[in-house]
Amino acid sequence: MILILVLSLTYLTYLGGLGELPPNDVRLIAKNYLNLTYNPYVKSLWASSPEAVTAIVWDYRGLDTLFETVVFYGAVLAAITLFRKVAKEKDMLQSKGMSVVVKRATAIVTVAMLTVAFSTALHGHLTPGGGFQAGAIGAVAPLVMIVVFGKRYLEDRGLSYGRLLSLRNLALTGIGVTSIALFTYALIQGGFSFIFQNQGKSLSPYSFPSYTLDVPSGGILLFFNVFEFLAVLAGFTLVFLILLGSDELLSKEFEGGENGY
Amino acid sequence: MDIELVRFMFLLTVVSFYVNLALSIYGVIAKPNLVKKIIALTILQDSASIFAVLVGYKLWRPGLTLQPPVLTDLTPTSETLKEFVLRSVDPLPQALVLTAIVIGLAVTVFLTTITLHIQKHFGTVNVDVIGRLKREEVYEEVI
Repeated sequence: MILILVLSLTYLTYLGGLGELPPNDVRLIAKNYLNLTYNPYVKSLWASSPEAVTAIVWDYRGLDTLFETVVFYGAVLAAITLFRKVAKEKDMLQSKGMSVVVKRATAIVTVAMLTVAFSTALHGHLTPGGGFQAGAIGAVAPLVMIVVFGKRYLEDRGLSYGRLLSLRNLALTGIGVTSIALFTYALIQGGFSFIFQNQGKSLSPYSFPSYTLDVPSGGILLFFNVFEFLAVLAGFTLVFLILLGSDELLSKEFEGGENGY
Repeated sequence: MDIELVRFMFLLTVVSFYVNLALSIYGVIAKPNLVKKIIALTILQDSASIFAVLVGYKLWRPGLTLQPPVLTDLTPTSETLKEFVLRSVDPLPQALVLTAIVIGLAVTVFLTTITLHIQKHFGTVNVDVIGRLKREEVYEEVI
């Protein structure tokens, strides 16, 4: 029965996928974005980014992505709130970590991971990638380090709750400041510009730099990608710090509240 | 690329999409373990994302070689741009899927923490056992 259902749905979608499932006018929207994203002949509408996806994510639909970042921020805050008693404390277990061989190998590989992540963030407007992907790659480094070196080892060396939260707040403030930076600049110059404006429009000539050393820099996209990378990296590390805490630490959250939910 | 091969890959993707959908909905409903429920939910999210990206790969003209929506020529002429617009896949579903993945990850992070909380409180992640424990603790029923 389920098999027949799956097969019939497949048949319908397969024919539709090659035929008329999305109507043909949908292609007009795609053509618009593809044509304008890096079109030096229409400089009033371009995003100065050869990568169309990043141009849509942070320029043409930038506000969507801003609120998406806010949702992620809220989810991490909610996760920390559930363990608010223990989130600020150091772990009481003194783990020795794994063997010396694993520790040395991890130390080398971690540098490579962070390098790849940072280059993904910096090249987000040139090649596939961007701030969020870079943050997800970079968050693997602290995760592996917590497992290999032990949580307390890293906490004694400065990977603390407060610092990660500050980094995260700083990065989100950076996103906010970047979005109104051009607006403020235009006001000081006595002109007028839109919030979230990247390149100059026909109504407002102000523009973020389009090129850095004759490579397209995507203007606002570069800043957004770097700040988003830092925000996602810090957010994930915060959650890993809680999820990988020892049993003794996490049980302290429930002291005195054994009865009922 | 060979048109038959493209058709076959489309068929394979669509079949796996529906199989994944069926399996993950079964997992969310039928598995009593909360961690397995979260895993099934993640598979459901990713299946939906793959379907959205697949819509962007719709063959607009048979025999046309498709390419990712990334312009490799940094000083494009109008011919290069026309070629790019003709051949490139739809970037809009990919951008929306990126948003969906981030939101899905936020939900997963939150659900994982809640599950850890429940595990520390009740000592189990099985919803059947948790339901029984709650009735015993809160309503003091004896079952």
